[in-house]
Amino acid sequence: MVNRRYGYLHECKWPLEAIDMHHVVVRKSNAKGFFVYLSALIVVANAASYLFLVKDKSIIILLWGFLMSVLLVKVMFWNRVMKESVVVMPTFGVQLETHYASGRIVHRFIPIGKILKPVLLECVSPVTCYWSLSLLLHGEAELTLVLKDLRPPVKMLIPIWKALCDASDIKEFSDSWKDAN
Amino acid sequence: MADQKHRILMVSDFFFPNFGGVESHIYYLSQCLLKLGHKVVVMTHAYGNRSGVRYMTGGLKVYYVPWRPFLMQNTLPTVYGTLPIVRTILVREKISLVHGHQAFSTLCHEALMHARTMGYKVVFTDHSLYGFADIGSIHMNKVLQFSLADVSQAICVSHTSKENTVLRSGLPAEKVFMIPNAVDTAMFKPAPERLGNDEIIIVVISRLVYRKGADLLVEVIPEICHLYPNVRFIVGGDGPKRVRLEEMREKHSLQDRVEMLGSVPHAHVRSVLISGHIFLNSSLTEAFCIAILEAASCGLLTVSTRVGGVPEVLPEDMIVLAEPDPSDMVRATGKAISLLPNIDPQQMHNRMKKLYNWHDVAKRTEIVYDRALKCPDQNLLERLSRYLSCGSWAGKIFCFVMIIDFLLWRLLQLWQPTEEIEGVPEFTLPHHQDEEIISNFNKDQSLG
Repeated sequence: MVNRRYGYLHECKWPLEAIDMHHVVVRKSNAKGFFVYLSALIVVANAASYLFLVKDKSIIILLWGFLMSVLLVKVMFWNRVMKESVVVMPTFGVQLETHYASGRIVHRFIPIGKILKPVLLECVSPVTCYWSLSLLLHGEAELTLVLKDLRPPVKMLIPIWKALCDASDIKEFSDSWKDAN
Repeated sequence: MADQKHRILMVSDFFFPNFGGVESHIYYLSQCLLKLGHKVVVMTHAYGNRSGVRYMTGGLKVYYVPWRPFLMQNTLPTVYGTLPIVRTILVREKISLVHGHQAFSTLCHEALMHARTMGYKVVFTDHSLYGFADIGSIHMNKVLQFSLADVSQAICVSHTSKENTVLRSGLPAEKVFMIPNAVDTAMFKPAPERLGNDEIIIVVISRLVYRKGADLLVEVIPEICHLYPNVRFIVGGDGPKRVRLEEMREKHSLQDRVEMLGSVPHAHVRSVLISGHIFLNSSLTEAFCIAILEAASCGLLTVSTRVGGVPEVLPEDMIVLAEPDPSDMVRATGKAISLLPNIDPQQMHNRMKKLYNWHDVAKRTEIVYDRALKCPDQNLLERLSRYLSCGSWAGKIFCFVMIIDFLLWRLLQLWQPTEEIEGVPEFTLPHHQDEEIISNFNKDQSLG
């Protein structure tokens, strides 16, 4: 399942097919890369032109320009989320993973007994509306987002939601969503 | 009556949990439209922590958009800032028509503007009367002229309000419909046992502000208490003029005859009304006045100032009108006291059930929607010609604003194509206890 920004992949891990893995992958955006590198180039060009026009300033300005460009590229690329995964291990728990472009992976494990209910919510921001998948946990007042950084379309969230409902033994609403669709 | 079902987006800065005439109008109209089979979604701004999507009785979906109110519950006017969220809601809910409420709502005007840019049909309901002379009214009327220049149809809540809106906005009168408000007679019922006439209780429930005639009350109450020793007052409501009423009470030693309740939640209004015989309304301006409908539905005889649309609301035997002058109001109150033995609260309530009915309001509004959807589609150039007629300078500014809005909309379509905005699936709500309340409300509304 793919759209312009995201791809969805579902796999069952060998040798235990009971382990259910759902991946939401960010597709490469050429436009974004182009704008980031263009911005970095503009910063460096500005620093260089300032240096050459105002000759009595030191080369430190150009070095600062390079540093700012490197930081810009780092922030925009290295800390970018490449993939978020949900690993459902029935009767055991759910592992939420966030994979970054730098290779760093952040894991969070939630025992199955702690999950009260997985919920699909409509979120409203000042400029848009989107769907999010969250977990209601026992003893916690706040919802836990399953996909923290990515906002895939609801058609990609539904199979993850159903898998979480099945794992935490909640049947009623997964059927009503199926009817609605 | 058409069989075509509409998908309506109601937009206003004024909605629950805030309480007032506009808020209850939107709520009750939406409930009745849902009952008629239409799909209704409400868009308003966030109230404190109430932000995001909420569902109300009957599956009424409300978008509390996190734009902070900045003045008198109005969203900060950014002109183009709400374009993305309005577009997203219109597309994902598959809206066919946008219905804006209240001339003083910035969110309403912006949403109507964006909806017209995107080619949707729009309907506007004006709930208030405005002046022509002061600087605030002049600017407000210009904004209204801009907003209504391109509206499909408009609705006003009284004939007076219609005349006022037509004069202020320059809208052709044939485009403006008059559909009055109504009252939930299932909620506002008379007391089971009729009150004795030994002590006459006059009830006042309103915001204690200048516009609602709180200064008149300060003059009227002591005079009535002096002339009629068996009269007592119950004053519900709060506001900046409360201090003046408290001072009046102290000055004339009326603590045992004037009871100040403070702010009264709407759920408790009926219990306050049924403790009285007469309802006193001293508003200086009112397009309609739902409060006197509620009072009449509870079986109270109404004394009111003859302002705005008030004379159109109740039959002559249910209301005593007075000029907004203390002596005339005292005279009218005296007349109402003498008429009290002839008043039958239950009979009054039954008449109100026949006269005012939210289902009737919804059916009439449906006709307006059908008429609006039959209006021809117009492209940008045809619409711009309407804005040019708004004034020599204002017309050009309005055209410029609309052109920029159009360009921003096209840019938004490139950035986020319509196909990428997912539609919201339709849900069937499970049975729940609210259904009994809705069933009683609808049964009561359809009787008579």
